[in-house]
Amino acid sequence: MTTTKAGPMLEIDRVAKRYGGTLAVAEVSFTIGKGEFIALMGPSGCGKTTTLRMIAGLDTPSEGEIRLWGRRINEDAPWERDAPLVWQNYALFPFLSVVKNVEFGLKQRRVPAAERRKKAMEWMERLGIAGFAERGVDQLSGGQRQRVALARALALEPEMLLLDEPLSALDPHLRVRMQSELVRLHRELGITFVCVTHSHSEAFAMADRVVIMSEGRVQQIGAPREIYRRASNRFVAEFVGGNNLFSGTASSAGNGALRVEGPFGAALAPRPSEPAIHDGAAVTLVVAADRIDIASARSGIGNEIDARVVTLEVVGSSATVFLETAGGVDLRVQRSLHEIENTPLNPGQAVIARWSQDEGYFLPA
Amino acid sequence: MSRALLRRAALLVWTFLVFTFIFAPIISTIVFSFNADRFPSLPWGGFSLQWYEAVFADASVQRGLVNSLIVAGATSVIATFLGFAAAYVDYRYRFFGKAAYTAIVALPPTVPVVILGVAMLTFEGRIGLSGTLTGVTVGHVVLAAPFAMALVRMRLADLDPDIERAAWNLGATPWSTITGVVIPFCLPAILASIFLTAAVSFDEFMIAWFVSGVNETLPVRVLAMLQGQVSPRINAIGALVFAVSMTLVVAAQILLGRNGRRSKETQP
Amino acid sequence: MSDARSTQTLPSASPVTSSARATRLRFAAFWGLPPLVWQLAFFVVPLGFLVAMTFWSVKSFRLTPDATLANWTFILNAGFFRNAYVYTFWLAGLTALLASLIAFPAAYTLAFRLQPATRRFLVFMLVVPFFTSYPVRIYSTQIFFSPQGIINAALHPLGLGPISVLNSPTGTVIGYLVLTLPLVVLLQTFALMNVPKTLIEAAHNLGCGRLRTILTVIVPSARIGLVVAATFAFVLAFGDYVAPLYLGGSKPPTLSILIADQVKSGNHWPRASVVAVIMILTLVAVMSTMLALAYGRRGAKP
Repeated sequence: MTTTKAGPMLEIDRVAKRYGGTLAVAEVSFTIGKGEFIALMGPSGCGKTTTLRMIAGLDTPSEGEIRLWGRRINEDAPWERDAPLVWQNYALFPFLSVVKNVEFGLKQRRVPAAERRKKAMEWMERLGIAGFAERGVDQLSGGQRQRVALARALALEPEMLLLDEPLSALDPHLRVRMQSELVRLHRELGITFVCVTHSHSEAFAMADRVVIMSEGRVQQIGAPREIYRRASNRFVAEFVGGNNLFSGTASSAGNGALRVEGPFGAALAPRPSEPAIHDGAAVTLVVAADRIDIASARSGIGNEIDARVVTLEVVGSSATVFLETAGGVDLRVQRSLHEIENTPLNPGQAVIARWSQDEGYFLPA
Repeated sequence: MSRALLRRAALLVWTFLVFTFIFAPIISTIVFSFNADRFPSLPWGGFSLQWYEAVFADASVQRGLVNSLIVAGATSVIATFLGFAAAYVDYRYRFFGKAAYTAIVALPPTVPVVILGVAMLTFEGRIGLSGTLTGVTVGHVVLAAPFAMALVRMRLADLDPDIERAAWNLGATPWSTITGVVIPFCLPAILASIFLTAAVSFDEFMIAWFVSGVNETLPVRVLAMLQGQVSPRINAIGALVFAVSMTLVVAAQILLGRNGRRSKETQP
Repeated sequence: MSDARSTQTLPSASPVTSSARATRLRFAAFWGLPPLVWQLAFFVVPLGFLVAMTFWSVKSFRLTPDATLANWTFILNAGFFRNAYVYTFWLAGLTALLASLIAFPAAYTLAFRLQPATRRFLVFMLVVPFFTSYPVRIYSTQIFFSPQGIINAALHPLGLGPISVLNSPTGTVIGYLVLTLPLVVLLQTFALMNVPKTLIEAAHNLGCGRLRTILTVIVPSARIGLVVAATFAFVLAFGDYVAPLYLGGSKPPTLSILIADQVKSGNHWPRASVVAVIMILTLVAVMSTMLALAYGRRGAKP
């Protein structure tokens, strides 16, 4: 069968999935291009894993269509697809040796024994597990099993690799290493990666584009930067983390700007083209924590809010400062350590939180 | 002696007596099968193999043994296949009427064998199976398949459902997943089940008694001999049957024991 | 949701039959149908046939399909049947009770007083009797209790006996115990092993004596397993044919002896079928009552 490989590689078109009475995926649409690294991200139960399983053919959509290169594949059996999955719990065959695990898919494709052994060894070499070829999988550590699972999937040389929470079972140290290894593999192989994760730091660190899901619906799709700088709704703004959400009342400030006044104080922000915001409307203003500066005194430039230091949290070389405004609203500021080393930040200290007018944006009501 | 010690001693003595009651008939069967005296009593009349010689010389016993082995062999293979199939269906699928499905497969051992025997006899008489070894085998499979199902189902409980899906995901059809993943995983339980169902069949006397007609199996022969007078030959047969069954059961136990250890090791 | 995922739903028939769906259906049928067909053909149908036969008649020694209640009225009105029914039920019930009481201290010892290795060995030993020809065991028991047997030989120097239990209800019950005791000890041991140790320690800690702990903590916690064990003892004894024949001397006969006699010599199969159906109904009633008893009062005050 010849298919023209034009347009998006994979289209998820208004797909829904029901299990009995419960709706796991309500209505999801997005496309995946060839060679992209897509992350499906959201809290547990958001439908991201179900979506991945439907791509693999392990679940069948109740509604909607999944198309690969324009062809409907809803009813294709999992064994007819070319989308190997790296399972969260690895799902290695417990009674087979490491090399037999890696060979498994090639054997199903009737690759001659010698050739599949050679291919399997190459991939194991590449992933640094060639030394364990004859071991049983129960003799491997978690990180080694992860590599076997990867080799087993990649040995098929697929056009698309599916990953279900690939890092969640690893300890933090390994997680960082594996994360960069996945990025490197993706770059070298040039195939499509679809990765499910609940961690925004993983998704943002690895993916070209992120699909954020909640309660079976897509909340936002975009490049990590884009989502981080412009959350499209309250769920995303809160889930992504590091955002300050201020509620208040809008009034016109002229010059294409709006003035927001609320318990947090008052601030100016650019008036969005969409949607129109009338004077007196209740709005939510979002300001990313790493876009706020801390100063000891007012300068008269940008937005400035009086606040008091509650506490300071240092992780590595960056610090999160938790503030409380005069109106009792929590505010967080993220800075690198050297930026704040000259500012006294003892609990109770009075400070000024300052950000440029352009950094604030509004969430749709 | 303190009261705690007394209590402990009393419990141990009681337990010893219970086990004695359970095992005395088995042990005496074996011991008296080597006894030279005709009537099994103490003191022992001296060691002798005469009863074994008599048993092996008895043509009806020989026929019974051969019949029993044929029936046990056929039963073990068919019952294990059916038990595996039922266990796999129970493991893999949910469907309307599943409880009824499992009940139909699993219930036979709860029906008294007398009744199973009568039902088999009347039914098989109609379809021309009564009086044949096939007829006995059919009845034994009904009785033994639930045991096979239980053994395989217990093993499958340790098989992560994702393992099968991982095989599909790597391009294995359901058929090659069964032969390449599920059966290798269940192999110890399958072998154990072959031994166990053979043992069940080898010891079964009631269905066989009703159905076998002139094609007596060994236990049916024993039953017939019991109706006659006291004969140490029964002990000799009992000891032989015991040896065969225990070999099968111990083999099954060893396989299951290895089975259990393996699955423990695979826990992450 | 995760539950729904853990097992695949059986593919349902649909007008759109793709090849994958056909493969799935063939596959499911290959594994699903043989056990079902076999047990339907050789278990359900024979039992159904047995029920149907209770309405047949015997005319000049030949079975004739019929729709008569004559067999039912005959059996239900027959004094020998009523006596046998009451006798069998009573002996099976007595066996269940005796086996439970005799087994409990042993199961308690196995579960709480022995090293795990010893316990494992003894539990394995308890499986052995199931694979040792039961008629041969009954034969041995018969020899033990015979007038010149070991029991009387041992009692004689003590100035006791001779005791004569063969061909009596006592003999039958002894045989029933040979049959049921291994299973009852086994099931009780499993039941007791599942009682949380902390529960027992808590009871001791609160000043509950050993016997009171057994009665107020252990027995109620293990109730389901204990009841199941007793139920199995009843079921096995109720249907047994060998012990009442060889140790009880079939005087008076039990229900299984009635059935076997009618079939093997009496040649009146429809009447035997009536007895068999009544036995099955009795067992179903006993099992559901016992299980209701075991599970029904869960959560009630012990």
